[in-house]
Amino acid sequence: MEMGHESGSSREFEGQILAIDPIMGDSLLLTVSAPPAIVQRLRPGQFFNIRCRFPSAYDPLLRRPFSVYRVDVERSALIFLVRPYGRGSAWLADRVVGDRVGLLGPLGNAFTFSPRTQRVLMVAGGVGVAPLVMLSDEAVAKGMDVVFIMGAADESGLLASSELAGSVEFVAATDDGSRGHRGLAPDMTADYVPWADQIFACGPEPMYRTLRAVVDPLRVNRKPPVQISVERGMACGLGACLGCVVETRHGMVASCVKGPVFDLDEVIL
Amino acid sequence: MTDGSPPDLSVDLAPRNPRELRLANPVIAASGCFGYGEEYAGVIDVQRLGAFVSKGITPERRSGNAMPRIIETPAGMLNAIGLQNPGISGFIRKYPPMWERWTVPAIVNISAETIEDYAAMAARLDEQPGVAGIEINVSCPNIARGGYCFGWDPGMSADVTRAVRDVTTLPLIVKLSPGATDIVAVAEAVEAAGADAISLINTLVGMVIDVQHRRPLLANLTGGLSGPAIKPIAVRMVYQVAAAVKVPVIGMGGIMGLRDALEFFLAGASAIQIGTAIFVDPGLPIRLIDELQAWLEHEGFASIGQIVGIANEGFRRGDSAALTAWETAGA
Repeated sequence: MEMGHESGSSREFEGQILAIDPIMGDSLLLTVSAPPAIVQRLRPGQFFNIRCRFPSAYDPLLRRPFSVYRVDVERSALIFLVRPYGRGSAWLADRVVGDRVGLLGPLGNAFTFSPRTQRVLMVAGGVGVAPLVMLSDEAVAKGMDVVFIMGAADESGLLASSELAGSVEFVAATDDGSRGHRGLAPDMTADYVPWADQIFACGPEPMYRTLRAVVDPLRVNRKPPVQISVERGMACGLGACLGCVVETRHGMVASCVKGPVFDLDEVIL
Repeated sequence: MTDGSPPDLSVDLAPRNPRELRLANPVIAASGCFGYGEEYAGVIDVQRLGAFVSKGITPERRSGNAMPRIIETPAGMLNAIGLQNPGISGFIRKYPPMWERWTVPAIVNISAETIEDYAAMAARLDEQPGVAGIEINVSCPNIARGGYCFGWDPGMSADVTRAVRDVTTLPLIVKLSPGATDIVAVAEAVEAAGADAISLINTLVGMVIDVQHRRPLLANLTGGLSGPAIKPIAVRMVYQVAAAVKVPVIGMGGIMGLRDALEFFLAGASAIQIGTAIFVDPGLPIRLIDELQAWLEHEGFASIGQIVGIANEGFRRGDSAALTAWETAGA
């Protein structure tokens, strides 16, 4: 019996929880071990489908997609940002260090920098901040200038600016005005649109409609280009079920394989 | 085991068809849950499967339903994908040429809204290299009958089966809908109309209401319920159908592990399909092949065929005493 174990391949594996750290109010950073080849090759924006139940249980049945907040190459681990707002994420947030979780991934495409990009604008909404942290790290490592706008319901939901590299300019927006600008993250983008070579956004879908409304009048020939990460409920994560499609100018495409990162101008929101 | 060789897992799902549908093992990836096979090529060893069934193909290209298309339910999920597929012509250009180079048998699932369209698609698949068989999805609305589902009616299911049988010698599986009032009557009708095998069950029609927005959550309003939540219904229907027909029965509905798979074989299934479980546990089908073999060996069986239907003491249609006794006994 050569394959009698849990894992069917290298993209499906079990990781061990190495650390759990509180972040952004009620959320957690979950550090999970993973094969070195996966950690080293991971691109910002890619995600994993995580089993959020005991293997012998049937509920909640479906895996949950989580994009990677950061990698820890030294410990060969992936770090996920988990906000316990649903049954699956709540189960995951209840784990303790040493527990094992089932992962399928990496899945999906990634954010990409254009060759001549020097100035990047990040626009994050709530837990959508996760992949932009990893992207920000990479931008700083490449010597780019980064402005990081983040919106949350209130101050407790904001990322501590110390989580980002010292050279990153952090701009906060809160719904209740408890810190920074009172309003949404996209409201703050206008000043930076002419400055930026590229814009990267991750947050709830209504945020992208607002973002489009703010940036479109300021862009010239669709520049700077805007990449967004679309979050959809999904089942397989591999393009088989077509449950997570996004409507684009080229038709309905599976966000799990053709995305989650799309050009804002390609997506019909 | 007398000669020490491992138990035989192979099965012919079309014994009355000269073209045969011989599988190395009885574990099949179900339609709609495995794409066209290539999606899982980087995750599992697809070639080790007994077979796989393609996504449902329709006469014309379809872009599918609006979102949301899926929602999780207790121990299951609802889906209303809406048969998003490239249509029979686009399908034939792209996939059979790829499958021709594969060793695993590829079965094509076909859906249509008229009998003529079913037959036209089957005719085009008949001599197509790379296609090992056809699975007819009869859970579609019949336009000529005001949208009444083909699969809910024995006569309409038989008409589709006969029309397809007339234009192809390919092994033919008819996939039954659990929405039929009398699933045994449908099974008997499609067997008589020329089906080589019968697969069941397709999903059950369900609904989730979005309480916040006070409307059904799925854009399509209803969706097909699948997963472990439907398994007891599937096992019961396989048990009933297997007792009534002579052609091989392929059982499916909520199989999540070896014990579930064994229930279907014992109920009378000659092979099984794995659907929703693939989404959450892609390694399962391959693992099941090994676990089935180990279980048979441990229990002293020489072949999978030896356990097919051994829990099935017959289930006469309309026999309420048998039904009550059976329900009391186990479920």
